Amino acid sequence: MSWLPCGLYHEHYREDHAWWQTTFVKGKMLLLAIFAIVILPYLDLVAPDLGPYLLNIAVILLYTILAASGVQLLIGYCGQVTLGHAAYVAIGAYTCCLVLMHGPALAAMTNDPNPIVRTLAALFSLLMKAGLLYPAGIILAGLAAGLWCVIFGLPSAKVKGFYLIMTTIAGQWITVEFFITQYVSQIGGRQQAFTVLPEHFTIGPFTIDSDRKIYYLGLALVGLVVAVTANLLRSKPGRAWIAIRDNDIAAEAMGVNIVAYKLLAFFVAGAMGGLAGVYWLNFNYIISPEHFQWFWSLWWVGVILIGGVGSIQGTIFGSMFMVLVMEGLKALIVPLSGAFPELLDKFLFIKEALFGLAIALFLIYEPNGLAYRWWQLKNYFNLWPFSY
Amino acid sequence: MPRDAEPEIEITKELTLPKLFLRMCKKFGHNKVAMREKEYGIWKPITWADYLENVKSLCLGMVALGLKRGDKVAMIGDNRPEGLWAEMATLCAGGVAVWLFQDSLLDEVQYIVDHCDAKFLVGEGQEEVDKGLAIKDRCPKLERILWDDPKGMRHYKDPILMSLKEVQRLGRELEKKQPGLFEELVEQGHGDEVCLLFYTSGTTALPKGALLTHYNMLKMGQNLMRVDPCYPDDDFVSYLPFAWIGEQMMSISVGLQVGFTINFPEEPETAQENIREIGPQTIFAPPRIYEQMVRTVQVKHLDASWLKRKLHDWAMRTGYQWADCMFEKRKPSTSLKVRRALAEVLVFKKLKDHLGLSRIRHAYTGGAAMGPDHFRFFHAIGVNLKQIYGQTEIAGISVLHRDGDVKFDTVGRPIPETEVRITEDDEIISKSPSVFLGYYKNPEATAKTLRDGWLYSGDTGFIDEDGHLVVFDRSKDIMILSDGRKFSPQFLEARLKFSPYVKEAWVIGHKLPYVTAVICIDYATVGKWAEERGIPYTSYPELSQKPQVYDLIVKPIMEVNRTLPPVARIQKFVNLYKELDADDEELTRTRKLRRAFVEERYKDIVKALYTDADMVHMDTTIRYEDGRVVPIKADMRIARVPQEGGK
Repeated sequence: MSWLPCGLYHEHYREDHAWWQTTFVKGKMLLLAIFAIVILPYLDLVAPDLGPYLLNIAVILLYTILAASGVQLLIGYCGQVTLGHAAYVAIGAYTCCLVLMHGPALAAMTNDPNPIVRTLAALFSLLMKAGLLYPAGIILAGLAAGLWCVIFGLPSAKVKGFYLIMTTIAGQWITVEFFITQYVSQIGGRQQAFTVLPEHFTIGPFTIDSDRKIYYLGLALVGLVVAVTANLLRSKPGRAWIAIRDNDIAAEAMGVNIVAYKLLAFFVAGAMGGLAGVYWLNFNYIISPEHFQWFWSLWWVGVILIGGVGSIQGTIFGSMFMVLVMEGLKALIVPLSGAFPELLDKFLFIKEALFGLAIALFLIYEPNGLAYRWWQLKNYFNLWPFSY
Repeated sequence: MPRDAEPEIEITKELTLPKLFLRMCKKFGHNKVAMREKEYGIWKPITWADYLENVKSLCLGMVALGLKRGDKVAMIGDNRPEGLWAEMATLCAGGVAVWLFQDSLLDEVQYIVDHCDAKFLVGEGQEEVDKGLAIKDRCPKLERILWDDPKGMRHYKDPILMSLKEVQRLGRELEKKQPGLFEELVEQGHGDEVCLLFYTSGTTALPKGALLTHYNMLKMGQNLMRVDPCYPDDDFVSYLPFAWIGEQMMSISVGLQVGFTINFPEEPETAQENIREIGPQTIFAPPRIYEQMVRTVQVKHLDASWLKRKLHDWAMRTGYQWADCMFEKRKPSTSLKVRRALAEVLVFKKLKDHLGLSRIRHAYTGGAAMGPDHFRFFHAIGVNLKQIYGQTEIAGISVLHRDGDVKFDTVGRPIPETEVRITEDDEIISKSPSVFLGYYKNPEATAKTLRDGWLYSGDTGFIDEDGHLVVFDRSKDIMILSDGRKFSPQFLEARLKFSPYVKEAWVIGHKLPYVTAVICIDYATVGKWAEERGIPYTSYPELSQKPQVYDLIVKPIMEVNRTLPPVARIQKFVNLYKELDADDEELTRTRKLRRAFVEERYKDIVKALYTDADMVHMDTTIRYEDGRVVPIKADMRIARVPQEGGK
């Protein structure tokens, strides 16, 4: 229950479930929006060095939020622990990449003897003329990753807890190490890495080729993902997920179709992962199976553990913590590397060790994550001048 | 911010509450919310058009069931829209509404229903229906028991029962047969007809039924609003018993004239929380509600973290300085102004928010004496709390504080069209258009109370140099101390109750060598206090007798003693083994102490307090809420209050 000031009451459920109810919160969100939409992307006009650097960090942050959102939904809201989320991100990235790479060729095959190919070719040429090949790729990436995720979510109908974790890890190896490395990467005869030229990322009249545009795309995707999650959570699927998380047997007894809702959670989470993959492709222009190692699956679970399990804000706080701490670490290590050159060589190991340490410390001292700390901070002032 | 008052309505002898009701319904229709009820988490709005529709069908339904002009309809239940509809429907049909306290026991219900000749009893749900069924054989004039909450009612088949839905269906049928009947019924009303019959809670004897007319009620509301106007966009929370004149005064007299929105809480238990949500502009409550607020603040304050506590302490000191400045009508210094503004921002704004008082324009207290400490507290935090003085017999109010002219030991000046005088015996008498017709079927009592249009209150008081009325106490409650001076026990009791640990106090000392007190500890706060200190206890009687608890209680008593002349100081006290309760007839339903009754019931304690005994033994009975009576034996310690020098 959120805290409401005296004199604020609701006559309808619509108002009762509104995201932002007080002027104070609305003002806060407006300031946040101004900062994210206007100030941050145009910071380079006043600070030519700092601006682009911050924008780059922001892009990484947005990617982390996108990727961790699906993990949050599965673990934090539906209680289905997943340790293979990088696989779905990879599926999304590869799907979009293949669409962008082979879409033009497909569009040219209008004289193919196969009628299915001809129809597809007509469709793709239409999309290309409208400049909508990339948006179509985004949608296809989301669908493909979602369905892929459902496949590996199927065992959740039977198994749970530790066993489900094992099956999701299996999903990771099967997808990235086997399917993508051995087969998908071979498409077109090129080995390993796929690249896409920046000019292919066009949405209608806009080409997403500058840092600022990439940042805006990320902001839009994060906005979409957060809005979808928040809305699902305050409607029937969200309530069903939380019921399943809290006690699946009780949920079933209450009439929740737990298999259907679990699979829906896998689909939505996978689709969010797919969007993250697309975004990764858009700001790197290159993808390779190495970008979707198992470590990242673990990393995103770490993000939500630190941020707060079962909280949308938690995803964002956790992402901020991980991205900013790692940047801070870099900033710390680079000047020290003069004295200790091995620090630079071993940066990856230091990063992983610190990641482990951070999670251990959070689990011990702040098991509810940063979102809980934030909630407590707000409460401190909401309850003023009392403590309860 | 002063705002222009709404244009005043003209109140003639022709006007009745139902006529005004129709006028308001026509004026607002679907465009304005008349009332809200919290249900399933939201405040379900009911517009004036819905209100009219419900009242109309109910009224015609009752007429179809045989309600005639002047018939009485008794009502019992929590505050809810249906209750108000039933009342308004009764009035529209020319009937007289009689409200009973929701927690009345069978005998009280039976006495009132029988005495007022009620034809119908409107109950809320199963509990009230059970009461009705239990008494119906002893109330031969009772024809129907109506109910509105179907919970638990499935297997009730008694033919005397009927649901309000069914009554409304009958009403709609009658409406089809005789369109315009409702408007005719309303038109037949006259301002001098009785509209409400109030059974006064009676601190001494059996309840007496005061007859109030439409004109009484309307005039009272108008004169109150001439002092403190209300506005149509105000919110009011109705949660105190409708059987209390104060609630009728706000919901009916004022509410109908100005058309503000009446809000009904989800459950009586959630009232405080629901008030916070609504944030009403006006509130009228007996002192115990305010005492409870102060107690909540005091207890939460004790549990707050260091920084919050220190800031709160500082803000309260500033607030008290400010309040005293205002009471004495001094000009505050610039430094005090700045500090007060800072305290408002840092503490009081949030404090008022927690109490649900952040939008309050006028807060009224009445019905009993309020301690000066409580009164100062509210003015310190910036709540415009005012005393109301009046009786049911004068439709609730005759004297009121004016904005900017508030003194914590007075009740203010008479409202317009009201004259207040003091007789030679120091009795307060008043005269206004709102003085009642008399007591129902009780001409002796009427003759005693109503003489030449003057209402004799039975209260002792005087008018001070500023023209403010000071109410000393009920004349029969005044104590004569050992040195012959008169003293008000209520004043002492109210001051004792400022301690969060004291729930009720009963001060004894009339024509006795010294003053003593019987204290009822507050189980919640003292219990919490004991838990924090690891003092084990299992029940109220055990906790009340702990030596540590005696040490805790003696402190506020010494605090109060310090400000008193030596003869009025409390010398001994005893913690009672139980809380005083209206079900045991120790308090009235409005929670006033029934002094004569407790003096009789606890005469052993009184006797022991004036001997050298250290212990007093009680063999008595207590009554549970379901009416069971069980014997109880209790030993209570008598403690002496250390006396110190003072003024």
